[in-house]
This record gives sequence, C-alpha cells and structure tokens, in this order.
Amino acid sequence: MSAFRAGLRALFDYADSLLEQAFGARWNPCAQLGALGWLCFWLVAGTGIYLYIFVDTGVTAAYESVESLTHRQWWAGGIMRSLHRYASDAMILLAGVHLLREFAHDRMRGVRWFAWVTGLLLLPLIYACGVTGYWMVWDRLAQYVAQTTTEWLDALPLFAEPLARNFLDASHLSGRFFTLMAYIHIFAPLALLLFMWVHIQRHSGARVNPERGLAIGTLLMLTALSLTWPAMSQPAADLGTVAAVLPLDWFYLAVYPLIDRHGGAAVWLGVLAAGAVLFALPWLPPLRRPLPAVVDLNNCNGCGRCATDCPFGAIEMAPRTDAAAYTQQALVDPDRCVSCGLCVGACPTATPFRRAAALQAGIELPELRAAELRDQVVAIGGGLTVRPRILVFHCEHSAPLPHADASLGIVPLPCIGMLPPSFLDFVLSRGHADGILLAGCRSGECHFRLGDRFTEERIAGLRDPALRERVPRERVGLTWCGTTERRRRLADLGAFRSALLQAPAAVSAPVHGRTAWRLAAQAGVYTVSALLIGTVSCWPNYRQLEPDAAVVKLSFSHAAQRVEACAQLTTAELARLPINMRVRTNCRRDRWPVTVDLVFDGKLLYHGTHLAAGLQNDGPSTIYRRFAVPAGPHALTVRIRDTGRTSGYDYEASRGITLRPGRSFVIDFASAGTGFTFRGSEG
Amino acid sequence: MGFLEWRDDFRIGIPEVDHEHRQLIGLINSLHGRLVGPGQGAGIGEFLGELHAQISAHFALEETVMRSRRYAEFADHKQDHERLLDEIREIMDGYELHGRYDARTLSDALDTWFGEHFRTRDARLHAALATAGD
Repeated sequence: MSAFRAGLRALFDYADSLLEQAFGARWNPCAQLGALGWLCFWLVAGTGIYLYIFVDTGVTAAYESVESLTHRQWWAGGIMRSLHRYASDAMILLAGVHLLREFAHDRMRGVRWFAWVTGLLLLPLIYACGVTGYWMVWDRLAQYVAQTTTEWLDALPLFAEPLARNFLDASHLSGRFFTLMAYIHIFAPLALLLFMWVHIQRHSGARVNPERGLAIGTLLMLTALSLTWPAMSQPAADLGTVAAVLPLDWFYLAVYPLIDRHGGAAVWLGVLAAGAVLFALPWLPPLRRPLPAVVDLNNCNGCGRCATDCPFGAIEMAPRTDAAAYTQQALVDPDRCVSCGLCVGACPTATPFRRAAALQAGIELPELRAAELRDQVVAIGGGLTVRPRILVFHCEHSAPLPHADASLGIVPLPCIGMLPPSFLDFVLSRGHADGILLAGCRSGECHFRLGDRFTEERIAGLRDPALRERVPRERVGLTWCGTTERRRRLADLGAFRSALLQAPAAVSAPVHGRTAWRLAAQAGVYTVSALLIGTVSCWPNYRQLEPDAAVVKLSFSHAAQRVEACAQLTTAELARLPINMRVRTNCRRDRWPVTVDLVFDGKLLYHGTHLAAGLQNDGPSTIYRRFAVPAGPHALTVRIRDTGRTSGYDYEASRGITLRPGRSFVIDFASAGTGFTFRGSEG
Repeated sequence: MGFLEWRDDFRIGIPEVDHEHRQLIGLINSLHGRLVGPGQGAGIGEFLGELHAQISAHFALEETVMRSRRYAEFADHKQDHERLLDEIREIMDGYELHGRYDARTLSDALDTWFGEHFRTRDARLHAALATAGD
C-alpha cells in the first residue's frame, strides 16, 4: 500500500512539475482540482437551467424537445447541451483525480478525515445527477440506462414490485416516470451543492474559484469541444427494440456492462466493498497522529492571529477561562488540528529574541516547541563555519536537500508556515547564518494548504506577523519544490548560494519557459484534456447484444393463492371477540410462493420460485428476467404454480414465435382474465 | 517613582488593552530601573527581548481590536506600531551586537516612544471608540 502510494505520489509530482512549467505556479491546475470542480458544477447548473426551459418530460415529447434543441437551436441550445454533458464529464474526471491526488499525498489521515469522507459522499450524488440526465433524453442510450439502472436498483430488497417492469414495453411506460426523473435531476444537484459546501467546511478560506485565466481556459476548452464534437442523441427509445451496440459515457456508466454481465447484486457488493475501503482509509495504519497545538494562557492575550491563520478552522477565539484581564483566548479543537504549526508562525510571542528559558509561545506544537526551534537554530547555526553559511528551514513534505555540511545547516519543520518571521530577523541580525533558505512544498500545493502563501505574504509585509522591513531580503531565499523535484531544489540552493556570494550567476532559476512555448504547452494540455473527455464520453462502444440475438423478457407480478382458505366465523365465535375485531371473514394472510418454468425449444430456460412480497408474505410474487436468445423461430412454454400442490401447474401456455434480431419479446401474466400475454414483434 | 506613570486619560476603554498598557508601563519602568539603578545593565539584552515580545503581542491585540471596530485611522496607527517595533529592534541590536547602550538615550527613546504614542495614536483611538458608543 505504501509503495503504491509512494509511486502514485511520484507520478503526481512529475505531472505537477510539467503542468507548473506550462501554466506557472499560480495557474497550475493540479493545485486547484477542487476549484475546477466547482467551476464545472456552476457550468452544468447554468446550462441546465437553460436546457430546462426547453425540455419536455413526456414519453415522446422528451426526445423531440431535445432533438429540436440540438438541431434547430444548435447555436445556443445545442452548445448548452454539449457543455452540460462535457462539464459533467469533466467533473467526474476532476473528482477522480482530486481523490487520487489527496490519497497519494496522504492528506486524509487522522483529523483530515472530514473532507475525505464528505468528498466520497459527493460521488454517488454526482452519479445520480449524471444517470438521471442521460435518462431524461429518452433515446436508445437512455433506454439502456433506464433498464440497467432499474435492474440494478431491483437487486436491492427495497421495492416490492421491480422498477424494471416500468420499462418492459411501451404499454408499461408512463410520463409520470419522466417527471420523477426531472425532479431527481434537479434535487440531486441541489443536494450535491449542499454537500460540496459541507465538504469544504473545515478548510478556512477554501478555494472554490480557480484562477481566472485557468477558468477561462477551461471554459474555452469545453466550448471548443462542444462545437467540434457536439453531444448528440441516439435514435429515439423504443422499448420493443434492443440497441445491440451503444456508445456509453464511460465516465458515468462504466459499471453498467458489469451489471449486465454479473448481475446487480454482485456489482452492489463490489461497489459497497470498494466504498467501505475508501471510507476506512483515513483510519487504516500506519496512523501516526502528531500531538495537536496547545495554548499557553500566560502568553495568550487573545489577539486572534492564530485563529485567523489556521487553515483548518481548528482554532476559535473563546471567552477567557482564567482570571486574566483579557476577554478572549485561543481555543484549539484537537479533532481538527493537523499539527502544521501555522498558528505558531502567527503568534507574536513566538519570538526567539526572548530569553531562551522564558521562551514559551502563546500557542505551541508540543513536538516542536518554539524554545526547541530556537535551540536548534542557535546550535546548527553555530556549527556553520564555511561562508556563505546557509541555514535552511526545510518542510518535511517537500523535496529533499543534500546532506548538511559546514556551510549548510538544516532545520526540519512540519510546515514552512510554522516559522515565525522573527526567527529570520533573529538568525540574520545575530549572525547565526549569512542567508536563510525557506524550502517548502511546491508553490500553491502546501501539504497543509496555506503555508507557502502565508510565508510569502508575511515576508512581503502583507500579512501579520510581517517580516520586519529592516531584514535584508536578499539574504532570504524561497524554494518551493514538490517531493520529487530534487534537481530543482539543488538548483535553487545553488542559485541562492551564488546570490549570497554576489556572483554574477543566474539568481532566479528559470522556472518558466518562454511565453510562446508556455502558451503552446497550455493549448496542448487543454487539447489532450478535451480529447480525453470527448472520447471517454462516447467510446469505445458497448455491445449489449450479439448481432443475431433477440431478447425475451419474462416478467409479471402475481399474488398466489393463500396458504389457508378464509374461514367464515359463526355468530357465537364473533361474539367472543372484542367488539372492534368482529369481522366475519377471517383470513390467514400469507400466500404460497409462485413457481415459474420457462421452456424454450424444449429446454428449461428458467426455473424459479418467488416468495410473496411483504413481511407477512401476503403480497404479490414478482419476477423480472431478461434472456438473450438467438433470433429465429422458437417454441415457448411457460408454466406457473401458485398453490400448495407439489406437482403439476396451475397455469400453462405454449406458443410458437419468431424472434427478429435486436427486438424484445415480453411474456407477462395476469391471473384475472387475460392469463398469459405475449407481446413484441414476431416475424 | 516610576519613569513613566499610568494616567487615567491613557485609558482607551477596552479593558484588555488598558491592562496591557499598564503592564507595559510597568515593564518599561523596571527596565529604566535596571538601566539607571545599581548593577547597571545586567540582563538588559534578555529583558529587551521580553519587552519586544510583549509589545509585539500587545500591538497584535490592539490591531485586532481596531480591525474589528473598523477604526478609520487603522493604517496610520499600525504604521506607528511598526515604526516603534523597528526602533526597539534597533536598540536591541545596538545592545546585543555592540554592547552599546546609553541609559539616557534609551530612556529618552522609550519616553518618546510610549509617551508620544499614548498621547497621540492611542488617545485618538480612545476618542474614536468613545464616539462610536463603545
């Protein structure tokens, strides 16, 4: 597992490096997958509102309205429809990569479980939106989606009567069902939005808007894809026909062929098992939980800087609990604290200018106290003898450094944001080193979300506590590198060293290539993404049925005979009953199970016994089975037993039929009057 | 007798800020005592460090109060804080690196420092908060 994670992490890091070169640190899409997901949500919502104006929900009207929107209004409705589809596909893609990436970087451990779990909960909602969306168009694909979805749901012991019976043939189909779909297709996104909001609750200043340039690029990409490869319907749905080959949207329908092949129950088991593993991941070993931050009231005056800077909303300002003259104090919620130390970096009392013995900050990480940090700085700085003496504060989650030597001292930190700016002032003004290099995670991708940003803002004087202006900035270097970017880190270190020596070396490492190259690279990334989205949304085709096959559906809902005949009570027996229970006809409620045989060309194609529905087995027995059979002439016999007899049948019918390829044939049964009905096209 | 004395008109009406002002005056007075008293200058560097930390924390609190009350002259007041912190850092460095300190200069600096800041910035803050009905 950890090797898999490490490999995945390295892979993501290489991808990040490439994308960072193309897009620059600020626009790097890897760092804002979630925000891009939000963008796609709004795109889908906006286009959805437009489409809703024109879409009809009737059995035939649905398809016609979508067709007219796509073709007669291609310049607006058609584009909207395509955007609606492709942005939804992009959302699945983004959510998937986002999830993998957070897993790879191990960012769902311990107290960070919340975003992981709520994020997983978004997935079924996104799928509910997508599946109902495909359903509403009511083309051949929708027909397949309807049939398979209902068969899948029927595998759960939820519905007394199989939902799939609604799609047996045209006579069973009701426009109401489409209205229901439209409702689900509206309410599922609203629920999704609510959960997306919950998902980011524990992240202060969570990013829900991508950088403007990236947003525009994404919008342009999806629009271009919509224009060159517009979303089209399949032929109109026809329940008498089975589309042999279908272009599936694999983003949303990847499990559907598995449902066809292995049955709904097996796929439920698979999905639920996978879901259970994903949900359990934050608590699986190795679970190392660093101690959460603690507040020292003697040094806390309630200024609130730590609460402002906590990236996980783990600190709140609460009424004072001691007798001090202050009104507020910081209060850490240990269940939310990730022990990043950004609060220590924000605390004005965490300054190394204080006496070493008295150095106790208002908020501290128990595993790396400010006093320890000061001791390390002094000790490691004292060991530096060769100029330029460089002291590196090194984030444990970022690219490694070369070994420490006489001119390179390394102080490890959980996050660069933990370092109070006064430490920089201290090191340089007291001569503990000639230069300080702050070595953190890739820019914009801090393991603890905001450490790099806050550090830059503090150094630039834009955020409290700011690095004092008197500190010579040319002696403070920054290097933001992902875990695998060892070479880049070495280059940054070399450049910083040269700059300290005032050598005429290239001071800033050329992170970004020339503008033209970068634009071309961005265009390339957008093109590849568009091709991926466009392709997976309709290719490869799925063969639902062999070319010369037809489908026989055996389905009915029938209440079998009662196990015991009803008894008529005598007047004397009635009189013994309480007054509110005097009913003359007394029936035991339970019914016999229904046994069904389907004999196809002399061979038993199906034999099954179906219990009566209901907790008391007093409802109808239902059956829904679908068989792919060779087309051509066949002899059918279907038999039902619905009484307690041990041999023989209560109902039986035979028929010679000719099945045409790609058509479906329905065997239904109603005990009252009609008996067996055979519907569907025969030769 | 202290070097600086707490006066009631220093009050700005926010108990925790006033409390810290009093504390700081106490600290400055005891620093002054060390500077001019017997055993002159013992432990001054460390004492300055503590003072610096406390003043930093105090300013942080005062700035939070000003921000939360949308004090109109916040920018100017904060700038003065930064200037004062820079000055005390100068004094610290002067002492630490060059062993240089002059009791009189230091006293004067601290006087200007607090006296001025109290009389001008903090008084204005007091007035503003009072009119705002706090």
